[in-house]
Amino acid sequence: MLALNIENLSVVFPGLSSPALAIGHLSIAAGSRVAITGASGSGKSTFVNIVAGLERTRQGRIRWNGEDIAGFSESRRDRFRAANIGLVMQEFHLFPGLSALENVLLPARLAGAATADVIERAHALLSTVGLSRPGQKIETMSRGEMQRVAIGRALLRKPGVIIADEPTASLDAESGEAVGDLILDLAIAEGSTLIVVSHDQRLASRLDRCITFGSGRISEDSTATAGEAA
Amino acid sequence: MIRFILSDLRRLWAGSLVVVLLVALATALGVSVVLQERALRLGSARAADKFDLVIGAGGSETQLVLSSVFLQASPLPLMPGEMLGRLAADPRVDWAAPIGFGDSFSGYPIVGTTTMLAQNLSGGLIEGKIFAHEGEALIGSAVKLSLGGEIKPMHGLPEEGGETHIELVYHIAGRLRPTGTAWDRAILVPIQAVWHIHGLAAEEHAEEGAESEHEHEEAGEHHDGHEHHGRLDPDAALDERWTADAPGLPAILVKPKTIADAYKLRQEYRSGDTVAVFPGEVLTNLYATLGDAKQILVAVASGAQALVAASLVLVTVIHIGQRRRQIGALRAFGAPRGAIFGIVWLEFFFLVAVGIGLGFALGYAAALLLSGMFSETSGITMPVVFAREDAGLAAVLLAFATILAALPAVLAYRQSPAQALRA
Repeated sequence: MLALNIENLSVVFPGLSSPALAIGHLSIAAGSRVAITGASGSGKSTFVNIVAGLERTRQGRIRWNGEDIAGFSESRRDRFRAANIGLVMQEFHLFPGLSALENVLLPARLAGAATADVIERAHALLSTVGLSRPGQKIETMSRGEMQRVAIGRALLRKPGVIIADEPTASLDAESGEAVGDLILDLAIAEGSTLIVVSHDQRLASRLDRCITFGSGRISEDSTATAGEAA
Repeated sequence: MIRFILSDLRRLWAGSLVVVLLVALATALGVSVVLQERALRLGSARAADKFDLVIGAGGSETQLVLSSVFLQASPLPLMPGEMLGRLAADPRVDWAAPIGFGDSFSGYPIVGTTTMLAQNLSGGLIEGKIFAHEGEALIGSAVKLSLGGEIKPMHGLPEEGGETHIELVYHIAGRLRPTGTAWDRAILVPIQAVWHIHGLAAEEHAEEGAESEHEHEEAGEHHDGHEHHGRLDPDAALDERWTADAPGLPAILVKPKTIADAYKLRQEYRSGDTVAVFPGEVLTNLYATLGDAKQILVAVASGAQALVAASLVLVTVIHIGQRRRQIGALRAFGAPRGAIFGIVWLEFFFLVAVGIGLGFALGYAAALLLSGMFSETSGITMPVVFAREDAGLAAVLLAFATILAALPAVLAYRQSPAQALRA
């Protein structure tokens, strides 16, 4: 379970005059479930990239439980992300030719972290997300099933935080709803902090807190307390 | 990781196949050039081994060797026939045998010589016996004729439109053991018969003349004419006592008794009207020239390989561009950069290594094929063999593959996962 604390963050892309993302101060408590909303280009994706350590920032502090990943090297951020952050994306980024189980295990295997316990957990996770055939090839699955595999992969190493970037946007309403429920239930069950970027009002409304981005800044924060105001 | 790479290669099988084929063909080109050149060198060196010293009339040493060792038909100047008698009587000479060319049968060159050469050329016969009469012939192991068959000598080669001699028909008396040289395709006949056919025998000098139907360039002494139709006796015994007035000879093969004798003989016969050569030495000079040709071929092959390498760089850069998202995703989900580098490197190295392996096999097969074709027409066995230095070539190619594969791996390594996923 990880808490996020951002200070003086400013992300500037070359050629753009205004920063893509500027956050003076933001705290997300450990174990809380937060929805991030906002129009396209409002800085949501940049936010995800920055807090997940996929992108580097030169200015500001991004602390997960006090560890500032902005100061980490590329490799160290990779290691941190692998161990602590479970990512679910709009596109599943699964690898054809491999089975559901192999897809869940692939990043852990490449990181040399696939112990017997982890493999056992992969099996358990697949049945938790409702997939009964771990050996099924990924390309033979429906989109809803694929996203379930991706969720299993995100949760494999018991991450302290789950970051989902539009997890339901590429699914039809029915499977989107099921996937949204699954992510929420699993985050509660695992006790992970959950950050969901979503247009899905129904999903966003079920979370504890909703932060809205506009033009790279936080324009609205449903539960912003006095102490967290910038 | 290996499973992932294999499934990746399966998915991209068409592109992978192209990469393997490109590498294989480029490697095969280089390998076959090297192997073929070596085969040519070894084959011709072995062919020349049999002949220690060749003596001919003044002229081109290379031409003399090509004609005598490789039986390349060409008009050689003649030297006086008495040379043979002198050489045969020389105490430094083990044996000396004349050779006379000019006729052919079914594309096989007919070489006039003596029983001396027939005995010494291949170390024995497979079947039959050495010629003992003017109308008998001995065939090389690669001559597709059978014992007892008839040979009607044709002047020159069929493609030169030569006429068939009707004066004499040889009967095949025996077949020589294979020597791996051009002589395997030769038909050996008594030189005495060749002289008679061409009207050159010593004792016929004073005979009454009639008109002669054809010119003989290789016949040094042009008589105004001889009537020799139907006058040759195929059962005439061979006379191998060399008289001073024997007809002119294009070349004499000499087996000196010792190496010192060989040098002395060469020294003695290289002055004046004759040349004396060690075929091995002439070939060495030829190889020096061939060596330059090899350099050019190797340079061309290397150029082709460089082109392939450049195209591979292009392929890999495009390939990595296409795989940006996959690579970005792997990293986003927690695969370390080192593992990404490893995957891309291994995948590419595997393809190139398979290509190189296949290329060596292809090159070897191509060299075998070419050697086979060459042997078929020339009779010279061309041994296609790998030598120790080929391992060096393989090592260089693999080292190059190592570096080449590192290029896409580095590209993949340096990609920011966020950028890769955005693309």
